[in-house]
Amino acid sequence: MTATISPARTSAHAAVRGGWAGRLRRVLPVATVLAVAVAPFGVTPPVSSALTRMCAFAVLVVGLDLLTGVAGLPSLGQAAPFGAGAYAAAIVATRLSPVAPLQLVAGAAAGGLLAAVIGWLAVRLRGINFLMITLALAELVHALANQWSSLTGGSNGLVGLPFIRIAPAGPPLVATGYVLWYVLAVSAACVAVVVVVSRSAFGRTLRGIRDNEGRMRALGYATFWPKYLVFCIAGVLAGVGGSLWVAQAQFVSPGSLNFEVSALALMAVVIGGRGTLYGPVLGAALVVLVRYELSPYLAGRGMLLLGGVFILVVYLLPKGLAGGRARRSA
Amino acid sequence: MRRINGRVLRAVSAIVAIALLPACGSSFNTGTITSDSVKIGLLIPQSGVYAPLGTDISRGFHLYLDAHGGQLGHRRVALVTADEGAGPDSGVPAGQKLIQQSQVAVAVGVVNSATALGLIQPYNEAKVPLIIANAGANALTGAKRSAYVWRTSFANGDVGASMGAYVASRVDFGQVYLIAPDYAAGHEQIGGFREAFEAAGGKVAGADYPPFGTTSNYQPYLARIQRSGARAVFCFFSGAEAVSFVKQYTEFGLAPTIPLYATGYLTEGSVLRGEGAAALGIQTGLHYSTELDTATNHAFVAAYVARYHAPPTVFSVAAYDAAQVLDRAMAGARTGAQIVAGLGRLGDIDSPRGTWHFSDTHNPVQRYYLREVRDQGGGLVNAILRTLSS
Amino acid sequence: MQWLTDNFITILDGVAFGLLLFTIAIGLSLILGVLDVLNLAHGALYLAGAYLAVQFFTGRVSIWVFLLALVMASVLGAGAGAGLAFMMRPLAGRGHLDQALLSLGVALVLADLISAVFGNDVHTVSPPGFLSGSPQLAGFTYPVYRLAVILVGLVLALVVYLVVERTRLGALARATVIDAPMVRAMGVDTRPFVAGIFAFGTVLACVGGVLGAPILGAYPGLDQYVLILGLVVVVVGGVDTVRGTLVGALVIGQVEVLGVSLLPRYASFLVFATMVVGLLLRPGNRMRVAAS
Repeated sequence: MTATISPARTSAHAAVRGGWAGRLRRVLPVATVLAVAVAPFGVTPPVSSALTRMCAFAVLVVGLDLLTGVAGLPSLGQAAPFGAGAYAAAIVATRLSPVAPLQLVAGAAAGGLLAAVIGWLAVRLRGINFLMITLALAELVHALANQWSSLTGGSNGLVGLPFIRIAPAGPPLVATGYVLWYVLAVSAACVAVVVVVSRSAFGRTLRGIRDNEGRMRALGYATFWPKYLVFCIAGVLAGVGGSLWVAQAQFVSPGSLNFEVSALALMAVVIGGRGTLYGPVLGAALVVLVRYELSPYLAGRGMLLLGGVFILVVYLLPKGLAGGRARRSA
Repeated sequence: MRRINGRVLRAVSAIVAIALLPACGSSFNTGTITSDSVKIGLLIPQSGVYAPLGTDISRGFHLYLDAHGGQLGHRRVALVTADEGAGPDSGVPAGQKLIQQSQVAVAVGVVNSATALGLIQPYNEAKVPLIIANAGANALTGAKRSAYVWRTSFANGDVGASMGAYVASRVDFGQVYLIAPDYAAGHEQIGGFREAFEAAGGKVAGADYPPFGTTSNYQPYLARIQRSGARAVFCFFSGAEAVSFVKQYTEFGLAPTIPLYATGYLTEGSVLRGEGAAALGIQTGLHYSTELDTATNHAFVAAYVARYHAPPTVFSVAAYDAAQVLDRAMAGARTGAQIVAGLGRLGDIDSPRGTWHFSDTHNPVQRYYLREVRDQGGGLVNAILRTLSS
Repeated sequence: MQWLTDNFITILDGVAFGLLLFTIAIGLSLILGVLDVLNLAHGALYLAGAYLAVQFFTGRVSIWVFLLALVMASVLGAGAGAGLAFMMRPLAGRGHLDQALLSLGVALVLADLISAVFGNDVHTVSPPGFLSGSPQLAGFTYPVYRLAVILVGLVLALVVYLVVERTRLGALARATVIDAPMVRAMGVDTRPFVAGIFAFGTVLACVGGVLGAPILGAYPGLDQYVLILGLVVVVVGGVDTVRGTLVGALVIGQVEVLGVSLLPRYASFLVFATMVVGLLLRPGNRMRVAAS
C-alpha cells in the first residue's frame, strides 16, 4: 500500500501499458460502446431494454466505484440517491414534461441534494461505520418513499410514465432502440466524466485519502471536503442513473430504493475491480444480467445463480473482472 | 495475471453474448395465435415471499387446462412461465419480455399490484390482453383501467367493504379497531371496510398500519388495541404477517375478549395451517371457501385435492377462472382485440366460487361469503356461515 | 406511575424482544468483534436453524426434543462455521468487501437451497412442553416462552462472555487477530482457533434460529430480516462483544416495542434512526476500523 500520490511511470508500468493487454484495455471501452450502439439493429426489444438497464445501472455503479474504489468510502446506501433521481424524473414526467434532458437534470439534482444532506452526516465516519450509516440512512429514505404517498405514490409507486422525448417538440421515443441510444449516450458521457475526475489531481487526492488518510492530514489536506465532494458527485451520478432507469422502465416504485439495489451496486464494484472504473461497468452489466434478465427463467432459482456468481468471482477473480496491476492507476 | 485478465474479459463477453443469443431476431411483434395453437404467458412469483400464491395460481390454471386436453378456445396451448419475482423491478421486465420475446397472445397471473400497474401501459400498447389472477389494487380496474386489462380475482376495496355492514351489526354501538400493513393493499382493504362500516353506523376506535414486511412483533399494537377499549378488531394481513398476528393475538390474550374479524386472506391456504388452533373462531369475508356447497365447487375441490394433495385456495380459483374465461373468449379470436371483445361478451361465469360476471370495468361482480374457522375433523377449514350482502 | 403500570407489559416485552435480538445477533457480533470478519451468511444460518426446528417440532413438543434440536443445530452450525472459515482463508487480508461478497454469495445459495428443499410456505413452531401457553401476569396475559427467552438470552450472554474472555480458545483467537505472526511465533497454529471462534459464532446463529422459531417462525425472506436486525444491533451496541451486543439488543428491543407503541406512525423509521444516532454519537467506540 503505497502513499504515492501520482501514478508512477516506472518501467514496469510502461511494459504493462505497452503490451497487448494495455492496448486491449484502451480499445475495449470504445468497442463496447460501439457494440451496444449497433445492437438495436440486430436484437429483439427485450435485449435492447436489457442493455439500457445495464447502461443506467452502470452509471450508478461507476459513481459508487469513484466513491468506494478511488476514495475508499464503501457505501451501502447508493440506492437512496438512485431512487431519489428515479422519483424526481418520474415526478417531472408525470407532472411537468416528458422531455428527457429535463428529467435528467431533475434526477441529477435530486440525487446530488440527497447526497449532500446524507453525506454531511456520513462522511464523518470511516470504514464499517461509514458502511453502516449509509445503509441506515438509505433505509430511512426507503421508508420515507413508502409513506409519502402523495408525492411518491406509496408502495404502488408511479406508473404509466409517458415516453421520453429528446426535445420539447420532438417525437416520443417509442422504439426501445432509440431509448437505448439516449441512455447509452448519457451513460458513456458519465463514465467519461468519472474517468476524467479520477485522473485529475482531485482523483489523486482521493486515492491518497483511501490509502492513508492520516498521512494526508499530516500533509495538510482537510480530508473532510474532498470526501464530501466525492460523496456528492457519486450522489449526482446515482441520480442520473435513476432517471435513466426510469426513462426505460416508465415506472418507479419503492423497490428502486431497496437495500438490494445498494448491495447489488456494491457487489458490482467488487466484481468489476475496485477503482478500475471500467471493470465495475462490466460488473454492473453482469449483475443486471443475472439478477434481472436471467432470473425470471430459472423457475425461482435466480438467487442461487447470483450467489454462485459471487462465490466464483471472489475466488477466480481476486482483483475483479478488470483487475491486474493497472488497478492503482487510471 | 495479464493473460488471465484478457482471457477473462473475452470469456465474460462470450458468456454475455451467448446468453443474449436466443434474443437475436426481429423486433416485429405479432401475438402468435394460429388456427390450432396459441401461446399463453403465465407470470407468477416463483421465488420470494409471494411464491406460495404463485404455486396456487399455477395449479389452478393447469387444473383447468389439463382437464380440457391442454386446449383453450379450441386451440392447443403453448404455455410460457415467467418468474414475476418479489416486485415490479423484476416483474415488469419479465412481463414485457413475455410480449416482446416470447410473443404471447395473452398473459395471465401477476400477484404484486405494483407490477400489475407497471404492466398496464406495455400491454395496452402491444394490444395483448392481461388477465390478472390476483393483484388487488383498486386502480387496476379503477382509475388506471384499460381495454386490455381484465381481472378474475378481486379489488381490495370490495373485499374489505363486504364485511362492513356485518361487523357494524355485531358490535352493537361499540367501536372497532382497524389494523393492516402499511402498504397500498392494506390501506385499500381497510379503506373499503371503513367506508361500508361507517355507512352502516359503525364507529372506529383507532387505526394502525404496522410497517409492511418488517414487523414481526405485534405486541405494541395489541397493547394499543387493548387500551383503546375497542369492542372488536378488523384487520387485513396475509402471508407470514397473518400467521404472526393471529398467533400473537391469542398469545397476548385478546382472542377471548375482543373478537377478530378480517378479510379472508388472514386464514387462507397454508397460512391457516401455520396458525393452527389460534385461528379458531375468526370470522372473515371472502369470495371463496373450499366449503362452498355447490356441485361445481365440490367437483373442483375433489379434482384439485386428488391432483395436488392440498386444498385449493382463493388464489387457485382465480387462475382456474382465468383459464375458463380465456377458453370461452378465445374461441374464434385471432387477435388481442378479438379476445378482448370475446371477454366483453361473456356474461355469467359458472365458477367454484359461485356465479359471477365481469363489470364494465373488467372486475368480477361476485358474492362474498362470511366464513368462520372451524375444526371439521380433517383439519381447519373456513366454514361458510352465510352470504354477505354486497 | 400510572404510565408505568399501563405500559408494564410493553416494557417487559421490549426486554424479551431485546434478548431475542441478542440471541440472533451475538453470533454475528462475535465473528465481527473478535475475528474482524463480516459474515453476511449469518441470516441464512439462522434460517437453517429455524427450518431445523420446523422439522423437529411437529405437534406438541417435549423439552427433550427441544434440547435435541439445540444439539443438532449446534452440530449443523459448527460444520457450517468450519466450512465457512475454510472458504474464507484464501481471502485473509483482502478486506471487508471481499468477505462480504463471499459470505453474501454463500447466504444467497444457502437460502435458495433451503427454499428449494422446504418450499416457500410460512412455517410456524409451537414452544416446547411446559413453555407454551400464556399465564396471567399482573392482570395481563403474557406468553411463557418469551419469559424463557429472557432467561436463555442472559445465560447465553454469560456463556459467550466466559468463552471469549476466560478460555484459552478465546484468548488465542483474540491474540491472532491482533498479531497473528506473534502467535505463530509462539508455536501456536492459529488456524484452528480462528476456525473455532468462527464455528462458535455460526453455532450461535443456528441455535438462535431454533430458539427464535416459536416466535419468528420460518419462511423465505426471514434470513434478510434477521441479518439486517443483527447488523443494527451490532452497530448500535458497539465493538465490546458481549456487553455491547447486549446493550444494543436491549435498546433496539425497546425501540421496536415501546417505541412503536408510543410512536406508531413512525414505526418504519425508529430502528434506523436509532442506528444513525448510535453511529454519530459514539464513533470512537464503534466497530474496529480496519486500517485501509
